[in-house]
Amino acid sequence: MSIDPALWSKLHGASTHFPVALTMAAALFDSLGFILPERSGHKAKLHAAGYYAIILGALGTFPAVLSGLFLTKGVVLGHDALLYHHLFVWPAFAVLVALGVWRALVGEKFSERGFRLYLVGLLLTAGLMAAAGYWGGELILNS
Amino acid sequence: MNSSLEAKALGLALIVASASLGGAWGSAFFIQSHVTFVSSDFQGESLPGDITSSPVLIAQGREFFTMSCAECHGDDALGGDEAPNLHHLVISNARIAKTIKKGIKDEMPMFAKKYDAHQILSLIAYLRSLH
Ligand code: HEC
Repeated sequence: MSIDPALWSKLHGASTHFPVALTMAAALFDSLGFILPERSGHKAKLHAAGYYAIILGALGTFPAVLSGLFLTKGVVLGHDALLYHHLFVWPAFAVLVALGVWRALVGEKFSERGFRLYLVGLLLTAGLMAAAGYWGGELILNS
Repeated sequence: MNSSLEAKALGLALIVASASLGGAWGSAFFIQSHVTFVSSDFQGESLPGDITSSPVLIAQGREFFTMSCAECHGDDALGGDEAPNLHHLVISNARIAKTIKKGIKDEMPMFAKKYDAHQILSLIAYLRSLH
């Protein structure tokens, strides 16, 4: 197989922003939905938005991860900025997939305690994604 | 009340997440061993001419490398005790140039005064020629 590397650079750039933005959106919607009182009338809508955002975000990580692997010719860790990128990417990827699967299965039938844990994981992952994106940007922008 | 659903979902979530991570690392291994790339400059930006096709430039870069860089990065840039291997660099040419010019704080000296733009280009050509 022979592949033009510039293509992977473009594909990675095009695909990485979706999961990052969707994870942040999911964290925002589901946190607001959790915090707002029932009488606000927005709870259900916000949780629905959080539900779809995390599922799409989790699905969106796969093209992002694959294009990145092709881009670096299969480097799992690397060094310098690429290493920092990966130290955030891999935990974010695994936890995001887990969160997406959990939320897809549980839907709106969550307990308060269960959802609180989910939100903590979600906020942490949003932070990891932001850091991964920062170091990914360093790899190209700061050049 | 829903804790059994939540627990089951968590179990499955962990399984799928592990499988995904394993799948990603497995693909990385596959890519390393089976996929060949057209050019070593994956960032896709081009330098004046194709620098790696100039044997003169590469030879000049090798000389500079032996003088200034080999003590840390090893004779053939294969890495030393403290400094990394420089084969198959995944950073852009512009970033390599910046690293050489500015150095890395507490890690690597700066060479902006020692080498001009063309000499730095030759160093990049040498590093890109390594396989
Ligand atoms: C005093 C030792 C030392 C010398 C001399 C030195 N380097 Fe480095 N260099 C390092 C260290 C250490 C790192 C890694 C820093 C880190 O990982 O944070 C590095 C990193 C680099 C990187 C970045 C690698 C990457 O993948 O991001 C490049 C490129 C590089 N050096 C090129 C050179 C060149 C070219 C020269 C000679 C002009 C040179 N270095 C001289 C110690 C040195």
